[in-house]
Amino acid sequence: MTSTTTELKVSAFLAYKFIAKGNRGTTLLTILIMALAFVNLMFTTSVFDGMGDATENQVIDTLYSNIVIEPKDEEIYINNPDSVVKKIINVPGVIGTSAQYVTGATIAYKEKSGAWNIRAVDPDDERMVSLVPDMMIEGEYLSKYDRREIIIGKEIAGGHGGSLEHTSLGGVVVGDTVEVAFTNGVRREYRVKGIFDTNFFQSNHLAYITKKEMESVLGIHDMASQILVKTDTKGDEGRFLNQFVELGVHEDIKPWPVYAGIVATLTKSFDALNALTGAIGFFVAGVTIFIVIYVSTVSKRRQMGILRAIGIKESIIVRSYIFQAVFYAVCGCIAGLVIMFAILVPHFIKHPMVFPMGNVTLLIEQKAAITRSAGLIISAAIAGFLPSWRAVRETILDAIWGD
Amino acid sequence: MMERTERVEQVERDEQDTIIATRNLSRTYTMGKMQMTALNRVTLDVRRGEFAAIMGKSGSGKSTLLHQLGLLDTPTEGEIVIDEVEISGLSESEKTIFRLEKFGYVFQEYAILPEMTALENVYLPAMALGLSREEYVTKGMDALEKVGLAERADHRPREMSGGEQQRVAIARALINKPKILFADEPTANLDSASSRQILELFRALNRDIGQTILMVTHELEDADIVDRVIWLADGEVVDREG
Ligand SMILES: Nc1ncnc2c1ncn2[C@@H]1O[C@H](COP(=O)(O)OP(=O)(O)OP(=O)(O)O)[C@@H](O)[C@H]1O
Ligand SMILES: [Mg+2]
Repeated sequence: MTSTTTELKVSAFLAYKFIAKGNRGTTLLTILIMALAFVNLMFTTSVFDGMGDATENQVIDTLYSNIVIEPKDEEIYINNPDSVVKKIINVPGVIGTSAQYVTGATIAYKEKSGAWNIRAVDPDDERMVSLVPDMMIEGEYLSKYDRREIIIGKEIAGGHGGSLEHTSLGGVVVGDTVEVAFTNGVRREYRVKGIFDTNFFQSNHLAYITKKEMESVLGIHDMASQILVKTDTKGDEGRFLNQFVELGVHEDIKPWPVYAGIVATLTKSFDALNALTGAIGFFVAGVTIFIVIYVSTVSKRRQMGILRAIGIKESIIVRSYIFQAVFYAVCGCIAGLVIMFAILVPHFIKHPMVFPMGNVTLLIEQKAAITRSAGLIISAAIAGFLPSWRAVRETILDAIWGD
Repeated sequence: MMERTERVEQVERDEQDTIIATRNLSRTYTMGKMQMTALNRVTLDVRRGEFAAIMGKSGSGKSTLLHQLGLLDTPTEGEIVIDEVEISGLSESEKTIFRLEKFGYVFQEYAILPEMTALENVYLPAMALGLSREEYVTKGMDALEKVGLAERADHRPREMSGGEQQRVAIARALINKPKILFADEPTANLDSASSRQILELFRALNRDIGQTILMVTHELEDADIVDRVIWLADGEVVDREG
C-alpha cells in the first residue's frame, strides 16, 4: 500500500471513530447547525430565484408568450399575418399563435385620464397564448364579435389596490364608459366589459379590444403589430428560431427574454444581494464549524499528543479533523435540503409571498444547491483544518502534560 | 535445556550490542530569567535486550530523561544514538516515523482512545504502518493475547479496569515489534495486584522475546525485577541513591 492511501485510511478511520463513537449529541447538534447554515444560504437564493421565475412566467403568461414575431426593420406592420402563422403552426412544439395590433392611446374616465398601450386581439387565438382571459376579477373577457367593448388591467381601472393607484382612472367598474383617444386622432367611447388582474404590474397596465374593432379604428386589414407564439416548453425557445426562418418567416423572431428587460434588471440586483448574503452565510457556517472543531481539538488535546507520541503523523491527525468537518458539512447539506423540500417549499406553496411580479414560491435551482453545498463543504474543510493544524503545532509534551 | 543455552548466547551477543547511547545529554528549561537544568551531562548506554529501570527522587529528571531517549523532546545539548542512528540529524517527521517503527510507549495514565475498542486501539500503529487489514487484525489479536486480554478485544476502554486499560496500552506499544519499550511509571495508578501483573508482563516480554525495556519507576521493590537500575539525582546519573 502506498503511504498516501495508508494515511488517508488512518485519517478516515480516526474521523469515523470520533464521529461514530464520540458524543451523539454534539454530532447531531453540529449537523443541525450546518443544516441551518445551509438553509440560510439557500433561502435567499431560492426566494430570488423564485422571484425571477415568477417574473419570467408572468412575462410569458401575461405579456409576450414564448416567442414574438415582429415586423422587419422600418416596417410598422406584418402584412398578412395569417400566411406567417400558417408556416409555423404545424411545427412540433408550437401550441398556439395570436396575431395582434398594439397601439398607444389615451384613456379617459370622468376627469381622469392616462396613456396606456392597447392590444387588439382575436379572443380565441389569445386564449391559446395568454392567461389574461383567465384572470378576470370583474366582468368578462372579450368575445370575437365585440365592437365598442374594452377590457382593462386593474392598474388602469384603479380602486383595486394597484401599486400605481394615483395614475389610474380612479375606480372604473364594469359597465362604465371610457373614452379612448388613439394616436391617429380617432376618439371612441367604449363600455368596460371586464377588469383583469394578473398580479403583475406590467401586464396590469394593458387594455384589450378586439382585432375587428381596431381595424376599423386604424382603417387597415390583415395586418399585425406582432404575433405571439406559444411553445410547449420554457427555456429552449432558441431551437425554434432557425426552424421558423427555414420555413420562410422573414420577420424578426425574438424569444421572450429579449423583452424581459425587467427580469434582467431584477436578476442583476438579486445577484449582487445574493453574493452578499452568500458570503455572509459561508462565513457564519465556516465560523460555526471552526468553533465546533476548535472545541473538539481542545478537548482532544491530550489524545492528539498521545497519537503523535506513538508515531501517528500530524498530517494524518489534521486530515482526520478535516474529514470530520466535511462529514458534518455534507450531512448538514443533506439535512438542509430535506428541510427545504419537506418543510419550506410546501409551506410557501401554501402561503406564497406576494410581490409586484406576482405570487412567489421558493425555487431551488440545482446549480444554486450545488454551488452552495460546495461552498459550505469548502468552508468546513478550511474551518476543520485551522484549529487542528494549530493544535499539532504545540509540542507533544505540552499536548499530553501541559496545561 | 535448549532454550536455556540459546538464551545465554543471546545475552552474550547482546553484551556488545548497545541500542541506546547518550553523550553529555543535557536538558535545560528556561522560565523567564530562571534556568532549570533537569538533565545534566548524562552519559549512559543501554544494551539490546536489557530491562532497565530509571529511578530517583521526584524531580530528579527521570521523565525528562525518558522523553529525550523516546524522542518526545529535544535535548538542549549532547547527543543520542539509537539503533546506530544519530538522532540530532533527524527531522521532526523522521522522528515520528522512527517512533512509529521502533518505539513503544506506555504512559502513567492509560493513554488509549475512548472512542475505540481495545483491538482498534492496539492495531492503530500497525494500520499507520501500512499493513493490510488482515495483518493488523491478526497482529492486534496476538498482542492482546500476549497481555492476556484477547477475550476483551471488542470492549471499549470505559468497560475495562485501569489495569486492563494499561495492558491494552502495552499491547499497542508492542504491536509494531518495537526495538525499545518506554514506560513512565506504568503502574503508578494501579493497585498492587495489577501493578505486579504489569511488571511480570514486562519481565516475561523481556525474557521471552528479548524486549528492550526502559522503565521509570519510583517503587524501590521494582529494582529487584529488572536487570539494571539507572539512578538519577538532580539530573545526573549517580552510582546509587544515597
Ligand atoms: N516543562 C517544564 N518546564 C520547566 N521545568 C520542568 C519542565 N518539566 C520538568 N521540569 C523540571 O525538571 C525537573 C525534572 O522533572 P522530571 O519530570 O523529569 O522529574 P521526575 O524525576 O520525572 O519526577 P517525578 O518522579 O515527580 O515524575 C523538575 O524539577 C521539574 O520541575
Ligand atoms: Mg516523572
